[in-house]
Amino acid sequence: MKKRLKLALVLVVLSATLIPAQFGWAADKVRGVTDTEILIGQWGPQTGPAAAWGAVARGTGVFFDLVNEEGGIAGRKIKYFMRDDAYQPSKTKAIAKEFVENLGVFGVASGVGTSTGMAARDYLMENKVPWVGPATGSKHWSDPLQKYLFAVYPRYTDEASLLTQYLVEKLGKKKIAFFYQNDDYGKEGLEGAQNYAKRAGLQLAAEIPVEVTDTDLKSHALKLKESGAEAVILWILPKHAPIILGQAKAIGFEPQWVASSTLSDSHLMYKITKGLWEGVIYANFLNIESPLAKKYLEAQKKFAPNEQYTGIFFLAGFVFVEPMVEGLKRAGKDLTPDTFVKAMETIRNWNDWLGYDCTFTPQDHQGMKSTFISKCGPEGQQIKISDWMTYKGE
Amino acid sequence: MNFFMDLIVGGLAIGACYALIALAMVIIYKTSEVPNFAQGEMAMLATFVAYTMMANYGAGFWTSVIITMVFAFALGALLEICFLRPAEDPGVLGAIVITLGAEMILYGIAGWKWGANQNPFPVPFSEYSGVTISGVVITEINFWTLTVSLAVMLILFLFFRFTKLGTAMKAVQQNPFAAKAMGIPTRRILTFTWGLSSMTGAIAGMLIAPIATLDPNMMLDPMLKGFAGGVLGGLTSLPGAAAGAYLLGIIENLFGGYVSLEFKSVVAFGVIVLILCVKPSGLFVKHYKRKV
Repeated sequence: MKKRLKLALVLVVLSATLIPAQFGWAADKVRGVTDTEILIGQWGPQTGPAAAWGAVARGTGVFFDLVNEEGGIAGRKIKYFMRDDAYQPSKTKAIAKEFVENLGVFGVASGVGTSTGMAARDYLMENKVPWVGPATGSKHWSDPLQKYLFAVYPRYTDEASLLTQYLVEKLGKKKIAFFYQNDDYGKEGLEGAQNYAKRAGLQLAAEIPVEVTDTDLKSHALKLKESGAEAVILWILPKHAPIILGQAKAIGFEPQWVASSTLSDSHLMYKITKGLWEGVIYANFLNIESPLAKKYLEAQKKFAPNEQYTGIFFLAGFVFVEPMVEGLKRAGKDLTPDTFVKAMETIRNWNDWLGYDCTFTPQDHQGMKSTFISKCGPEGQQIKISDWMTYKGE
Repeated sequence: MNFFMDLIVGGLAIGACYALIALAMVIIYKTSEVPNFAQGEMAMLATFVAYTMMANYGAGFWTSVIITMVFAFALGALLEICFLRPAEDPGVLGAIVITLGAEMILYGIAGWKWGANQNPFPVPFSEYSGVTISGVVITEINFWTLTVSLAVMLILFLFFRFTKLGTAMKAVQQNPFAAKAMGIPTRRILTFTWGLSSMTGAIAGMLIAPIATLDPNMMLDPMLKGFAGGVLGGLTSLPGAAAGAYLLGIIENLFGGYVSLEFKSVVAFGVIVLILCVKPSGLFVKHYKRKV
């Protein structure tokens, strides 16, 4: 009996001394940051209808490998977790929870999808998880301003306005139709085109929606043809592009096709459309001629030699995350979500990356605002037909 | 008027693809009363085999088609032997769950082997040109899709009606116990059924891929629509299911053209619900009551 009492006493004393110490340690600890590591996660569709964009998350992986090889950041190596959400918002939300509650990541890098990202946004913000460069140009990332969220991708609304402006002012097109995915991604593109049209006193010839799951697009093509459009702007999935171009060609409808930067991999698009992509005009946010692009593809050969796809979407996995790594470097050894945000907000007119003129301020977390326009050449190559442009509307 | 006719042609073309899927499902349904939800993925996998033959081994289109048909038959038979046969009297619900499981496995295999990217599927006839009848274009692929689906339907119909094997398959469905007692090798018949169905599905896959591009998700939508078309026409009758699928293709296109593109895909499922309420055995089938 005495022995037991002694043991209990020892236990009480032990817990009384150890537990507060443990709590103290927990309060100092920053989630996802140790002396040697920074934990970062990303979701991306490796399967499902948007799988072509899944290369973004794999590109980021190679980028982090490269950063680690070059010595890491302030003595820490990045530990990267990639998860497949199959472009389903319900899965994205679960992944975000896994990142925060199970893995305890410091931040989230990029992540494909507007509706998928929206499913996770508020949760990540409530938990003060820094998130940089969602791989989508939705305005929801920077409007309203979220303290821990930094948008890199130029806004779809601006991009669509610019493309419409280019069609009207440079190419003299008057009847422009818009073919969009019936969700936030497509609708924001549509909004941008409408904004410019309104300003120019025009009306879009047709606004035709397509659902993610649709496979048969004959009636869509017929509707576009009926509108008599001279140009059609596409804000859709890569898999829908060959179907709509093919169906349109089959009914003798061959307008000037124009595409969002989400379809900017001209080699891939040329291949899957069996050559129909030639002559398509599209927006870009990534300078593939930069020497950095070459360096990154060398890194791919080293770190991901089995990667089947190394086009624009793969390099996009670098460009969306470059500002994050820059921010981490600027934050240095004393890394917390708040010091990181402060460091990010010192990035002004930064051009040491694949993008153009990255600027974050405490009032504005939309990092890149410019795009340029290219045309797909006869072999699927990218032909640049404009400089970097910034939409100055409203 | 041209707009209307174009919609009809489009509806028939996609309806023909749905019809092949519906036929593939009917074949299995007729012998085991199980709707096979792995049908789409079986077709997708077979189409990938055809693609690999052409893209990686430089085989000609027709050689690839023949190899694919052999593969499809083997795949169907294998699925029956490996998944359904070991299940001890699973009942209809259990069997459906088994087919769903097979579907996921096949989907996973395709993603692992071929990746999730789109692939262009070449065919020796044009997707863009064909004959023009008073302003309405019927492309070569539309024409061949229609012809092939009708031919397959006819061949299957004759097969079930006039061959010994076909009759045996029907007997297995109507009374497996009696069929066995009469000396019909019911197990082998079932395996054969799955092979035959898988071949029919593979044809659908190879006709859808040139337009939709080939990727592991290719058959998700056509498979559900094919099933919906089959239910519309009646899953117990080959011509009925095919007619239902054609009709569904046309309804869908007309709805998309005149009413709403947003709800175009939903129409198929609206139709299923309606038919299940009004005429559960399908539009073109006499009401079938289970004899106990």
